[in-house]
This record gives sequence, structure tokens and C-alpha cells, in this order.
Amino acid sequence: MAGLELKNIQKTYGKVEVIKGVNLTVENGEFVVFVGPSGCGKSTLLRMIAGLEDITAGELYIGDKLCNAVEPRDRSIAMVFQSYALYPHMTVYDNVGFGLKLARTPKDIRDQKIREAARILKMEHLLDRKPGQLSGGQRQRVAIGRAIVRQPEVFLFDEPLSNLDAALRVDTRMEIAKLHADLGATMIYVTHDQVEAMTLADKIVVLDAGVVQQVGSPIELYQRPTNLFVAGFIGSPKMNFVEVTVEAVETDAIVVSSKDVARVRVPANASTAKPGDKLTLGLRPHDLIPAKNGAIVGRVSLVERLGNETIVNLELASGAAWLAVLEGDQALRIGESLALAADPAKAILFDKAGQALLVPLA
Amino acid sequence: MKTSRASIIGGTAAIAATFVVFVIPFLFIILMAFKDRQQSALRDFSWPTGFHLWDNLYEVIKTRNWMMITAFINSSLITVVSVTLLIVFAAMVGFVLARRKTRFNGLIEFLILAGLMIPPAVVPTIWLLQGLKLFGTLHGMILIQVAYNLPFSIILYRAFIATIPRELDEAAVIDGARPFDVFFRVVLPLLWPVTVTNIVVQSVGIFNDFTNPLYYLPGNANATVQLTLYNFQSQFNTAYNLLFTNILLITIPPLIVFMFFNRQIVAGMTAGAVKG
Repeated sequence: MAGLELKNIQKTYGKVEVIKGVNLTVENGEFVVFVGPSGCGKSTLLRMIAGLEDITAGELYIGDKLCNAVEPRDRSIAMVFQSYALYPHMTVYDNVGFGLKLARTPKDIRDQKIREAARILKMEHLLDRKPGQLSGGQRQRVAIGRAIVRQPEVFLFDEPLSNLDAALRVDTRMEIAKLHADLGATMIYVTHDQVEAMTLADKIVVLDAGVVQQVGSPIELYQRPTNLFVAGFIGSPKMNFVEVTVEAVETDAIVVSSKDVARVRVPANASTAKPGDKLTLGLRPHDLIPAKNGAIVGRVSLVERLGNETIVNLELASGAAWLAVLEGDQALRIGESLALAADPAKAILFDKAGQALLVPLA
Repeated sequence: MKTSRASIIGGTAAIAATFVVFVIPFLFIILMAFKDRQQSALRDFSWPTGFHLWDNLYEVIKTRNWMMITAFINSSLITVVSVTLLIVFAAMVGFVLARRKTRFNGLIEFLILAGLMIPPAVVPTIWLLQGLKLFGTLHGMILIQVAYNLPFSIILYRAFIATIPRELDEAAVIDGARPFDVFFRVVLPLLWPVTVTNIVVQSVGIFNDFTNPLYYLPGNANATVQLTLYNFQSQFNTAYNLLFTNILLITIPPLIVFMFFNRQIVAGMTAGAVKG
């Protein structure tokens, strides 16, 4: 098992630059998730690591080997595709063992490895079936089995759960987490679903338009996003944003206010702020609590009752639409006025360029 | 939906027309094969006076020094080898055309279309074959058949390979497959329905081909089955019973091919490979 090193990886298709200089280190045994909106380049990055796309510039190291010009089969990787890509004319047994057969592995060793992978994934009873006779979840397991049997240094997953239904997605997600715990392998996982990213990852890499926005652990990205994009991407429902004006600047806090938000003192990095500056205030829907004299007042425009929580769409004074997630089942009427409060320490301020003014860690 | 009278009448008329066009000639051939020489000269639908089938068969096979047997061997050889080469080469070309986007794709497609549309010029081709010392040889004939039928096969394969998802190729590449492995172990097996269709169409066409062996494969030792028909036809004297027995004999192999492969044509082989 080995780690990966990406040094200033770039990818251009003709004149279009898709990946604009990505630097990343993946430790041995880490579960790294590439996450981002559609078209951000995460699948392209994964395919470059796999060797299915050429690297225009930069260096890729798998283990300690420079792999830019190395064929996919020699890179010691295995890939699980979004559409499974099982060979439909072969049985599950032959599908899983295809790579070994090509490598001319002796029949008894091949048989042993296939059955071991089948045992890990609990699919021994499926070995004689063809892919057409399997359900979606079973096909995905066969695809994972095909990857396991190669005993690669790095596992690559390209949105493997996207084609599964919601319940199956949760189950298979847990299976993948368990697999990682059992095998201890380095895994790189691409998804646009940030719930998968948050639950599976040791480290998340947020990408947008071919540029790495932030790299960090899930909780780090949730609590301390470094820019507007990451703050708006991680966390469901999305973080609420409003434009505020700086009223006063203190050593480790900034006092802001706006038409919608009463004067509030937010702990932040105040080194560059001046009174009168326009900043963006971000507050997560889950951090808003109903309070009689709350700083944020709005009119309820939509109520979604989920049983354990209630999602409320608010229209603020300036017309901005905010979301609040309230605990329990709240019976609210549309058109009602609702006042919310939040712990100022949970708020994040962003400057004009979208960079977060986070309090430096001690 | 109730079957209206109009559709019953229409259906019956269609069946009757099909019967007249396709089945009656074949019945005529069989009937003639049973007659002797005089009765067959009448060329009508009269019932045979005696059972002359075996005599006719013996006569046909014995003619011109057992030419029929040589002809069958030649025809079968040409058909089998040509069809095999056609399948393999056309699938390879179709695979590269469908998968790889190069600036030569347009030129190659133009050449294929040209091969399909432009009728071959016989005399220059004979001149070329003579120059290559292939004229009048079986392998020369095989190459001619492959060349003439390649455009159709390539177009057939290219269209079907486009329906095989690229991820299968990529998964195979990651599993360690080299280009030939991807082609022979992953793509070609999935093309079995197309291959079967191609085999049936091409082998019937090549086996029944009269003009090309006539031009490029002269000589008694080189006879193909279609050419043996001329053993029994001349300006003044045609032995119709032998002629039709010959026709019956040479109809049988394509019939067998068709009946055998008809069952093999199975649609939807890639169902289950890729979700959605």
C-alpha cells in the first residue's frame, strides 16, 4: 500500500484548461474524497491518476514511482466505475478474475483470490450468475470485488453510489467504510454528494473549475471553510449568506449589521477590516434557533416538516431568502413572522474576494 | 382489437402473393429433380412419371470428372475463409473507427463509402491480379471477396460497436488488457449478434456468387458450384432434370447455414453491463 503525490497537475483539452495546477499529498491508507459541482474536474483528476487520461503538465507519484507515462495496468491501481462496467458476457466469477487471467496467474491461486474477495463482499452465492441477472447493489459489489482482487496500492472510486437508490446508497456507503477499515488501503473517491464526502472521508478535497478550493478533514471544512465556495458547498442545507456592513473593528472580532441582521459582534480575523467595508456574513441553517428577540427576523414562506426537524424558508426584510432548520416538529404558518438568533461564534465573515476571515487557531 | 374483414382479406392476399413468389419456384425445382430428361423438357407442373432422383443426382455429380465435388470444395473453402477474414478485419476496423477520433477518420469513411458505391472494374482488377500472380488462384478469389464485401461489414460493425459503452474498454485496460485483449476478449464477444448476421448474409452471398468466380477464377479445377450450372445448359440442348437437380444441390448449403444460425441471433447481449 502506498500514498500518492500530485505536483502541479494540469490538464488542457485543446485550448480549454480543465485542471489548473493541483497539488495534493495523500498519505498511505488515507480515504480521500474529491468533491465538487458537476464539471469541476474531479472525474478528470481521478482518470489522470488512473492513467485513462494524459497529464498535460505536472507530476504524479504513486508510491515513490513517477507514473506520468506508466500504463494503467502497471500503476497498481484499481477502479470502480459509476456504471459498474461489468463484462456482460462473463459470469461474476470470470468478471472478478479477468485481471488475474490476463496476468496469467495460476488457476488455483486465481480461484483462491476470487473466493476470498467474494467472501469479503458476501457474494459467494452470486459467482455463477451473469451481470444481467444481478440487482444494482449486487453489480456494484461485483465491481468492488473486481477491484479488491487486484490488490492494488490505490483504490479509485468514480461516483460509485450515484446509480443506486437512496436506501441502498446508505447501505453500500457503510460497506465501503467498513471495507476501508478492513483493508486499510489508500482510497480516492469522487462524488458530488457532500453527505458521502463527510461520512466517508479522512480528508476532503473541494474542487471548483479545476482549482482546489480547500483540503481538510470533514469537520475542518464544516467549521472552518476558507472561502465562500467551500462554505456554501459543504453542509446541507446550504449556508445562508447576507451582505453586511462593518460597524466597528476590534482586536479579534468585527461588529457588523445590515437591514436583515441586527448589530452583532462576530469573532473574526480583523486585521484587514475597516468600518464601512462590505462583507458577507454566513450562518448555517442548523445554527439558527427561534428566539423572541432574535437578531434575524423574517416572514415564513415555506415549511417542510421532516418529523425530527423542520426546514423553514424565510423571507428577510431585504427580500433575501434564508433557510433555517429547527429542531423537532414546529407548527408554523406561512406568512408568520419568525425571529431567530444564533451564537455569533458560529457565524463566519467573508471579505469582498470571498475569503473567510477566520479566527486563527491557537 | 377485432380483426376487420379488410385486414383478413389483405393478410390472405399477402400470404398468397408470398407463396407464389417464393414457394412455388422452389416446389418446381424439387418436382423437376424427380423427372427424367424427356418429361422435364415439358417444363410444367406435371407429376413425375417415375422416381428418377437418384439417377439424376448420380449423373450430376459424375459430370465432367466429378466436377461437382471439386466445385463444392472450392466454394466452401472460399466462403469459409472469406467470411472468417471479413469478420475479423471488419470488426477491427469498426472498433478503431468507433473508438479513436483521429483526423483520418473522415478519409477512411469516405474510402469505405466509395468501396460500397463504386462498382468494381473487372478488366483492371484482372490486370492487377495477373501482376500479383493471384489471377486464377483460390487465394486471389478469397482476397477479391473480402475486398468487395468489406465496406458493408465495416459499416455494420462500426454502428454496433458504438453501442458498447467505453467504460468496458477502460475497465479492461485497468484490469491489464492490451489492445488485442480488449478487442478479442471484451468487444468481439459482445458483437455476437452482429457477427452472426454478418456470417449469414456474407456466406450466402459469397457462396451464391456467380459472376466473380466467372471473371477471376477460370478453369475446370477452379470451378465453384454456381459455374457447374453451365454444365447442363447449351444453346440447343438443355437437360432440365439435371439442371434442376444441380440447383437443388447447391441450394442446400446456404439453407443449412441459415437454419443453424437463425437460432443464434440473440438480441440484447449487453443488457446488464451498464446501469440505465
